[in-house]
Amino acid sequence: MARIKNIALNTFRESIRGKLLYIVLIFGVILIVSTYILSPLSVGAAKDKIITDVGLAFISFFGVMTAVIAGSTLVNKEVDKKAIYMVLTRPVSRLQYLLGKFFGIMTALILMVVAMSVVMGVVIVIGGGSITEGILAALFLSFIEMAVICSVVLFFSTFTTPILTFFFTICLFAAGSLSSDLRVFAEKFGSGTMKIIIDLFYYILPNLKLFNLRHEAVHGIAFQYSDILLTTVYAAIYSSVIIYFSYLVFSKKEFV
Amino acid sequence: MDILNVENIRKSYRNNISFRKEEVLRDLSFFAGEGEILGFLGPNGAGKTTTIKIIVGLIRPDSGKITILGNSVSERQTRSMIGFLPENPFFYPHLTLEEFLVFCGKMSGMKGKKLKVRMESMIDRVGLARHKKKRLSTFSKGMIQRAGLAQAVIHDPDLLILDEPFSGLDPLGRKMVRDFLLELKGRGKTIFFSSHILSDMEALCDRASIIREGVIIKNVGLDELFIMGKGKVEVTARGYPESMTGEINQFTDSVKRSGDEMLIVVKRQEYVRSVIQYLLNNGAEVMRVAGVQPSLEEVFVSEVAAGENRNKKSITGELSRVETSV
Repeated sequence: MARIKNIALNTFRESIRGKLLYIVLIFGVILIVSTYILSPLSVGAAKDKIITDVGLAFISFFGVMTAVIAGSTLVNKEVDKKAIYMVLTRPVSRLQYLLGKFFGIMTALILMVVAMSVVMGVVIVIGGGSITEGILAALFLSFIEMAVICSVVLFFSTFTTPILTFFFTICLFAAGSLSSDLRVFAEKFGSGTMKIIIDLFYYILPNLKLFNLRHEAVHGIAFQYSDILLTTVYAAIYSSVIIYFSYLVFSKKEFV
Repeated sequence: MDILNVENIRKSYRNNISFRKEEVLRDLSFFAGEGEILGFLGPNGAGKTTTIKIIVGLIRPDSGKITILGNSVSERQTRSMIGFLPENPFFYPHLTLEEFLVFCGKMSGMKGKKLKVRMESMIDRVGLARHKKKRLSTFSKGMIQRAGLAQAVIHDPDLLILDEPFSGLDPLGRKMVRDFLLELKGRGKTIFFSSHILSDMEALCDRASIIREGVIIKNVGLDELFIMGKGKVEVTARGYPESMTGEINQFTDSVKRSGDEMLIVVKRQEYVRSVIQYLLNNGAEVMRVAGVQPSLEEVFVSEVAAGENRNKKSITGELSRVETSV
């Protein structure tokens, strides 16, 4: 456990000391604040709802992008530059290494999401709105979605290049966001091979729609805590399985 | 007691173009004893780095066994006995030297005050005390090499495995590393290292293993080099009359003159006394007496060249057999 913590701390430090996180964070803050400034121009919607809607969307977007961009180089860079030799030639298992990397990037994401959420909260309060349970739940699920994406990035980064990792994860993110629609699509085929294939995709891809509570948060629609708990359990299981597959690939890897 | 034992290691890779398997290590075996410095020599592509990576667990062998103090290297805890410095190392540039060494120490299971004390002492030992608060991204190649040595020994391992430890070091740095390695040897640590700087290897090693095309072709004890010189002795003298050179020919292999000085290679050790007496009786001044021994470089070059000749002969033999059968 101490070794996982140590690798995670090092990864977190690397993310914090790198420029990427700051750039993304600054962009996020600028966009949230600009929402506040531009919202008077919108017609027919309450100012705080627009701020909440756009703010939550930006936090989710920047969080996912950070997970994908930072994660794409997570393992690859260390392998390419041989920095990984310093870790794997010590009494550290490859699973510990991967878990350390995963938790390190997640810690950096927590910091980023919290920072952007605080900015958004301040902007909402200034705009006359209030921080509702729905907003907090939506932020929480956004973060859980980032964890799922992070595990997927980790998986791809164990066997392919940073560019391909980025590309595959973005594709998977897009497909995962539409996976519920896939089910509807599959129904149209009735039965047959195509339905089986689409159903297979539905079960393999992460169902990212589950992590989107923005509509409920913006319009104050009631939600069930049990749903949030189930979604969290789903994310934990999905991420664990993906990290396990990453380990299976990574454990066979040779550092020639 | 053997600290490192490498037995019958084989490793092959599939060629990406021909898809054929190419064997890079072929039944490789050697060992290193307690408190011994073992050098690892070989031409480029001989399999040195592959061997080292197999020992530290970065690559798995196809077959064979590697043990450290009797424990298999495939067991995770065995790696706590190893200190490793790779060739052209790269360390986390975002960390300061202190942070980096603490990280390495913790990864090897160290913690608390013991780690802090050890970290400070290793930073001092490699001469980087002034730079300990600086990030590794600002370090020169030589400084990285010193930092690499410090991280390799931070957890006080029994076995040090160093791939080109002198690379990028200035003469002072090389001396520091040499002294440090001898100090570690004095404390009973076993050191296995590869280097192309054979003078350093000769100054440090107890033995050297020469690898060529994935096989150990020669194990040389540095104390055997004199025997390899067949007991011949070199005598350097001055002031011996040129006209009398012929009179000591019966004891010598060769006599070379350079101005007033004369370099005499005495055939056998037991003739040395007679030759010196003869020189002194004839008014010469004996400057130096030394055993003739090949340098490690000469042994290395001759062994590798001999291997290449054997290969050529076997290829020629194969070809002539093919021609005969045709």
